[in-house]
Amino acid sequence: MPNVKVTLDGIQYEVDNKKTIIEAARENGVSIPHFCYHEKLSVSGNCRMCLVEVEKMPKLAIACMTQVADGMVVHTRNERVINAREAVMEFILINHPLDCPICDEAGECKLQDYSYKYSTGFSRFVEDKVHKPKRVEIGPRVMLDTERCIMCSRCIRFCDEIAGVHQLEFTQRGDRTELTTFPGEKLDNPYSMNVVDICPVGALTNKDFRFKSRVWEMSFTESVCTGCARGCNIEIGVRNNEILRLNPRKNDDVNSVWMCDHGRMDTWKNVNADTRIKSPKIRKDGVLVEVGWDEAIAKVASELKSFNRSEIAVLGSAMASNEDNYIFAKFAKEVLGTRNIDFARHHVGADDNVLIRADKTPNASGAEEVGVAPHDGGMSFEQIISAIKAGKIKALYSLEDDLATIPGVAEALDQLEFFAVHATNHCKTTEHADVILAASTYAEKNGTWTNFQHRVQRIRPAVTTLEQDRALDNFKMSRWDKFAAHNDKWGKGPRRDSRPSWKIVASVAGALGAKFKYNNADDVFNEICQKVESFKGLSYLKVGMKGAVLKKQTVVA
Amino acid sequence: MEKFILPDIPNLHNIDVYEQHGGYQALRKALQMKPDEVIDEVKKSGLRGRGGACFPTGLKWSFMPKGNDKAKYLCVNGDESEPGTFKDRQIFEFNPHVMIEGIIIGCYAMGIPTAYIYIRGEYRKWIKMVDQALADAYAKGYIGENILGSGFSTNVYTHSGAGAYICGEESALMNSIEGERGYPRVKPPFPAQKGVFGMPTTINNVETMSNVPLIINKGAEWYSKIGVAKHPGPILVGISGHVNKPGVYEVPTGVTLLTLINEYAGGVPNGKKIKAVIPGGSSTMILRGENLEGICMDADSLKAAGSSVGTAGLMVMDEDTDLVRVLSRISHFYHHESCGQCTPCREGTGWLEKMLHRFEHYEARTEDIDMLENVANHIEGNTICALGDAAAWPVQSFVRRFRDEFEKRVKQENTVAA
Ligand SMILES: Cc1cc2nc3c(=O)[nH]c(=O)nc-3n(C[C@H](O)[C@H](O)[C@H](O)COP(=O)(O)O)c2cc1C
Ligand code: SF4
Ligand code: SF4
Repeated sequence: MPNVKVTLDGIQYEVDNKKTIIEAARENGVSIPHFCYHEKLSVSGNCRMCLVEVEKMPKLAIACMTQVADGMVVHTRNERVINAREAVMEFILINHPLDCPICDEAGECKLQDYSYKYSTGFSRFVEDKVHKPKRVEIGPRVMLDTERCIMCSRCIRFCDEIAGVHQLEFTQRGDRTELTTFPGEKLDNPYSMNVVDICPVGALTNKDFRFKSRVWEMSFTESVCTGCARGCNIEIGVRNNEILRLNPRKNDDVNSVWMCDHGRMDTWKNVNADTRIKSPKIRKDGVLVEVGWDEAIAKVASELKSFNRSEIAVLGSAMASNEDNYIFAKFAKEVLGTRNIDFARHHVGADDNVLIRADKTPNASGAEEVGVAPHDGGMSFEQIISAIKAGKIKALYSLEDDLATIPGVAEALDQLEFFAVHATNHCKTTEHADVILAASTYAEKNGTWTNFQHRVQRIRPAVTTLEQDRALDNFKMSRWDKFAAHNDKWGKGPRRDSRPSWKIVASVAGALGAKFKYNNADDVFNEICQKVESFKGLSYLKVGMKGAVLKKQTVVA
Repeated sequence: MEKFILPDIPNLHNIDVYEQHGGYQALRKALQMKPDEVIDEVKKSGLRGRGGACFPTGLKWSFMPKGNDKAKYLCVNGDESEPGTFKDRQIFEFNPHVMIEGIIIGCYAMGIPTAYIYIRGEYRKWIKMVDQALADAYAKGYIGENILGSGFSTNVYTHSGAGAYICGEESALMNSIEGERGYPRVKPPFPAQKGVFGMPTTINNVETMSNVPLIINKGAEWYSKIGVAKHPGPILVGISGHVNKPGVYEVPTGVTLLTLINEYAGGVPNGKKIKAVIPGGSSTMILRGENLEGICMDADSLKAAGSSVGTAGLMVMDEDTDLVRVLSRISHFYHHESCGQCTPCREGTGWLEKMLHRFEHYEARTEDIDMLENVANHIEGNTICALGDAAAWPVQSFVRRFRDEFEKRVKQENTVAA
């Protein structure tokens, strides 16, 4: 890439000659304000917020569209530029409703931030504002307030260029311009909610999240979506120990800055739900009753001991972490001595060409990689189910996975003499269980997923369980978490007596006389990195925020 | 003076009549020349675009890439929507073949196989007339395959606008032809690099193209001597407003505005004084009536006077004219026609109109006079296309040159509202 010398506000930089001024500036830590420019979308140049002075050009130039050239001298904050910027801010604000106190975007609104930074803080406008439709249900998951829209066209470009469907358009002209869908159609593509993230104002809002919380009262924890094998990088938004929303987090190797609506909507409601398994349960006289951890662990240990090793099978899970599956595989091999170990696959439909994968689990390749696979003549998942039906397998121990949703499996579970299952929520499978071990959800534990690209990615706890503490355990904290007084009810949301699966399995191993000594998920991961060839050289530090690809790659069936 | 674009020949729109008066001879001549020689001839003639910006036509043509490995297009701009402008319509009606002949010569010079004539949607009758003229030219072999046995082929189509002034802006016009929303494009890339359908494109006004046969017939040398040297040729001036004989007049460039008003257009009715003149369509800067002496209809003269030729749509306003009302109406037009794409024009045009409404109704404040100009200044130069400038210039010039008219409209503290 040939480099050119460009001067920004008096400092010379060497930049790639294909870059625009805004990109060159951004790379060098000079921020140029903008609304319509978005790094992942085509440039439209309409908001005029990024006007800068380029010496030898008669007019101010838009930094988003102007390519750098050798010897170019750019001023991003001289008086002329500041005046133009203030003028653009004034123009954008004259017809804006200025309803920040009731707007969901407040606190993460570009227009609000820029009003503080680049505006005069005073309005000369004494006319009536233009009025347009409000509370427009533009799609099943997105609401539109046309009056707040600043016509930047990001949302239109997103649908055209990323989602690949032309669903949004402007109609009318001038200051009567309105964002809309085609007659009779809705903004309903599987990626529709990304427009909420990229809308620089509160015009497009998340129907599910609207009016639930001011964003500054929430904590945001970096994690990874569980909706499919892509593993889109996300942030979990929490207030009062309850998840209120997910939003995507940038990772160019995985999901760019997007996520699908299914991931955003359907993968976390169970964490807050009433169906949560709040503590371990044992079936007594046909009824599942809550018990303490010691009792539950002892029960599983003694039951497992009562079977022949050839009568036992275990199922790991593509919904559980690498750590959970590793400990489980180790337990199966070293403690139970069974070779009948596998996990269930959940494939629906086909991969699309954006993000969505047919494999609806976050960790199929990880489960397999850390040893959850039949070995030395052991049975596969299908064989295990058949063997249960044939009465050959009598006891089953499974990690969190709603197995009973798979055709034919529920009948098999009924025939078992003993069935212990880890579960986060009551589900079809728990109805058949003799012991339910209350597992923490992905939002309550540390760990890693391995996505379809064999990229290992970190999940981090965002919601506390009974055994955790926000401050002591280094959780992301909102202002409420930090500043609530002891008698405020804030921060005292529901907490469950659940544990990460690896920890539960280690306890069962202990009850059976094995020494599984791990203080935390880091310890488990470090052991994986020693014992599993493809993980060698990795650590949580190396996995970091963006993940790391496994060395040797096996192909996921 | 002899008239070339709109000569006084009955039924000239009829192709036989056009041929009898030397029509399509320039095409025959051009086809004997090399394409680059044609471009050179147009360059040497000094012809400048009649669509508003006076851009040198030959130079524009020379920006087109050579060769025909890519599709290339010519768009002929007959959107004619600027208030005060109605000259291209006369060509469509009275001499469509001179335009068509110019288009084919242009296509030959630039190696273009496809030309679109984009015509204002409201000009239904004239679209039909041009379609008829094109059919006649096809029938005679002037358009289509292997034109006059030269081996050169080109097709010409009409394309109707749908009522948007902005679609006269060249890049919005290209989007409109593509079936997209009439949004101007950010430049660069310029049309000659990436135009309609992403291909190299030249856009010229209808009248500009109509000058080309004359240049080829009589030679660049001869043409360049018509009118003023730096902006030569015949020019169609549309005169409207307070004159006795409004209409389109063909004159050499450089005729004084007063000659145009008093001699061609028969002066102001009832001998009234001229309060103001807008020389080149509603976007050009207004001039005070008492300052018109010596100002001519050509680029340099009007520039020196603080205005521009624009589309040579000369609007005359007598001493009784309410200029605040005039500006309010002009600002209404630009507010109505702003495409809404870029912030300063979208928001600013509406703001200007609303302020001017207050002036019209004696509801303005003294500070609003400066604010009008200031808001216009904030639009000018900061937008994607020149509509923003077109909206700003009238406001700036009216306020600067007729401030007294605005001062009179300020709300009086002690006046009781009627
Ligand atoms: C808002 C706007 C409207 C325009 N409308 C017209 C028009 O109706 N006809 C026209 O020839 N040029 C119009 N123009 C100018 C064109 O963009 C372009 O400069 C012209 O067609 C070039 O032709 P010329 O070089 O032959 O003058 C308009 C420009 C703007 C900014
Ligand atoms: S809705 Fe938001 S993203 Fe879409 S154009 Fe309006 S301001 Fe931009
Ligand atoms: S200046 Fe006006 S008409 Fe031109 S692109 Fe901007 S909003 Fe549209």
